[in-house]
Amino acid sequence: MISEFLSYGFVQRGLLAGSLVAVICSLLGVFLVLKRLSLIGDGLSHVCLTGVALGLLTQTSPLYMSVPVVLLASLGILQIMEKIKIYGDAAIGIVSAAGLAIGILITALAGGFNADLFGFLFGSILTVSRGEVFFCAVLLAALLLFLLFYYRDLIAASFDENFARTRGIAVRRLNVILITFTSLAIVLACKVVGIFLISALIIVPPVSALLLAKTFKQVLLFACGQSLLSVWIGVYLSFLFNIPSGATIILVNLLLLITAFIYTRLGRGYKKGDAKNVR
Amino acid sequence: MSYVIEAKKIQFKYSRTLVLDKISFEIRAGDYVGIIGPNGGGKTTLLKLILGLEKGAGEIKLFGTPVAKFSDWQKIGYLAQKSPVSQARFPISVQEVVLMGLGYDKTHKEASLENLRAVRKALSQTRTLNLAKRIFSDLSVGQQQRVLLARALVSQPQLLILDEPSAALDGNSREMFFNLLGELNQKHGVTILLITHDTGEVGKYISKFMYIDRELVFFGDKEAFCHSQRVAEKLGSFAQHTIDHLHNHGHCPLGCTCVHAADKQTAQPTQTQGETAHD
Repeated sequence: MISEFLSYGFVQRGLLAGSLVAVICSLLGVFLVLKRLSLIGDGLSHVCLTGVALGLLTQTSPLYMSVPVVLLASLGILQIMEKIKIYGDAAIGIVSAAGLAIGILITALAGGFNADLFGFLFGSILTVSRGEVFFCAVLLAALLLFLLFYYRDLIAASFDENFARTRGIAVRRLNVILITFTSLAIVLACKVVGIFLISALIIVPPVSALLLAKTFKQVLLFACGQSLLSVWIGVYLSFLFNIPSGATIILVNLLLLITAFIYTRLGRGYKKGDAKNVR
Repeated sequence: MSYVIEAKKIQFKYSRTLVLDKISFEIRAGDYVGIIGPNGGGKTTLLKLILGLEKGAGEIKLFGTPVAKFSDWQKIGYLAQKSPVSQARFPISVQEVVLMGLGYDKTHKEASLENLRAVRKALSQTRTLNLAKRIFSDLSVGQQQRVLLARALVSQPQLLILDEPSAALDGNSREMFFNLLGELNQKHGVTILLITHDTGEVGKYISKFMYIDRELVFFGDKEAFCHSQRVAEKLGSFAQHTIDHLHNHGHCPLGCTCVHAADKQTAQPTQTQGETAHD
C-alpha cells in the first residue's frame, strides 16, 4: 500500500514540498515563539489571501503574486511595532485584519470563491508543482545558511533584544531577515496546509519541542522531527481515507503535542533543574 | 579631558510628550553615580539613550566616541530592570546566558577555556556558581537577576550601567549586590551608573547623585546633594521620606558631613557648588 502511494509523481512532489516547508516553518517557528511573535504566521497568512485573490483577479500565479504582498505586510508589522510602539500581537492583528478585508474584497471583484481559491484556503499539497518544490528547496538552503552564520546572534536576540544590541548585534537586521524568511515560508505553506492552518505549522512543533528538549539544538531538532512526521503521516492518512491533507497534517501535529504534554506530565522529558544543558 | 560618558543637550520625546529635555553632564572614570528621581521622570530612557537603545536629539559620547559609532561594547556591562524571561521556558543554561556577555566570535567556535574561566569568575562574584548548569528560566527572579549581573560583569567592563538592579533581590542578596558594586568601583575603578530608589543602602558607596525629573535637577557630589535647595523642593513632591531619611535620623546614611535634623530647622538651604542651574 505504501509503495503504491509513493509511486505517484504528485505524491512524491507533495511529500517533498511538505517536508521542506515543515522544516522551514519549524526552524523559523522556534525563534518566533521565543520572541513572542508566533502569531505572525496567522497574521501574514491572512494577508496571503490578498495576494492569492490578486493573482486570481489578474490571472497570474497566486503564489508568486503573494510573495511581494506578504513581504510588504511583514515589513509593515515591523514598522508599526517600532514606530508606533505598540505590542507585536496588536501590530499583527491590524495587518491581519487589513489583509483579510482586502482579500475578501478582491475575491468578490474576481468573481467570488472558486476551486483555486479553496485550494489555497485549505491547502492542496498534492497539486504542488516542480517549480514550487524547487522554490522550497532554495528557501530551506538559504535559511540553513542564515542559521549557520547567525545562530548565536539569533539566540541572543531572541533571549534579550536590548542586551544583544549592547553586544553590537544588529538586532533589527536579524529581525528583518527572520520575518522575510517567514513571509516566504508562509506563501509556500499556504499550498501545503492552507491559509487557515499555516500558523499551526509554525507554532505547534516548537511548542512540543520546548516541552521535551533540554538544549536549544534539541529544540530545533525535535521541532523539525515532529513537523516532518506530521506531514508524512498526514499526507498518507489523507490519501488513505480521502480526507483534506492540510487539516490532517495539523491534527497529527496537535496529537503529537498532546503526547509530548502527557509525556512531560508523566515526569519524563525536560524537568526543572535539569543539568545537562552545558557544553 | 576624555570622559567615560559625555552628554550634551539630550532631548527625547515619546509621541508628543517631552520625556527628557536639555540634559548635559559628564561622567569621569571611577565615578559611582546614583540616578534618582520620580517614576516616569525619564531615568530609564536616559540609560537607553546612553546605550543607543533609543534615539533622541543631542549628543552622547561613550569613551569619546559618539554612541552611534561606538563598537567597543565589551567595555560596557548592562543590567536591565527586568529579567528578559520570567516564567516562559527558554532552553539555555545559566552558563550560556553569562557567556552572552562576552559577545560572539563570528567563527562561532565553542566557548574557549578562557571564556569559561571568565564565566566561572563572574558567577562566583555574584554567588551563583552553583546554578551554572541550571536552565536560566527555571530560576527565581532574584536568582535570575544575580545571573544577569554576572553577565554584565563577565567582560570585565570599565563602565557598568544598571537600571534598578536590586528591585527583585532579598535583603541578603541586596547587601551582597551593593557590596560587590562598591568593591568593583573602589578596588578596580569601574565606573558605575545606577538607577536606584535605595538611596540609604547604596548611599555609602555612591560618589555622585544625579536627580532626573524630565530635566537634570541636580548632578554633583553627595554632600552637595544633601544641601541642594532644588532637590529638597523636588523631593517634597515625590518622596519626602528620602530627605527625612537623610537628615532627620541624626545621621546621614549617605555618609556626608552635612547638617543634621536639628540644624536643618534653622539652616537656610544654599545653592551649592555641585548644583546644576536650570532656567
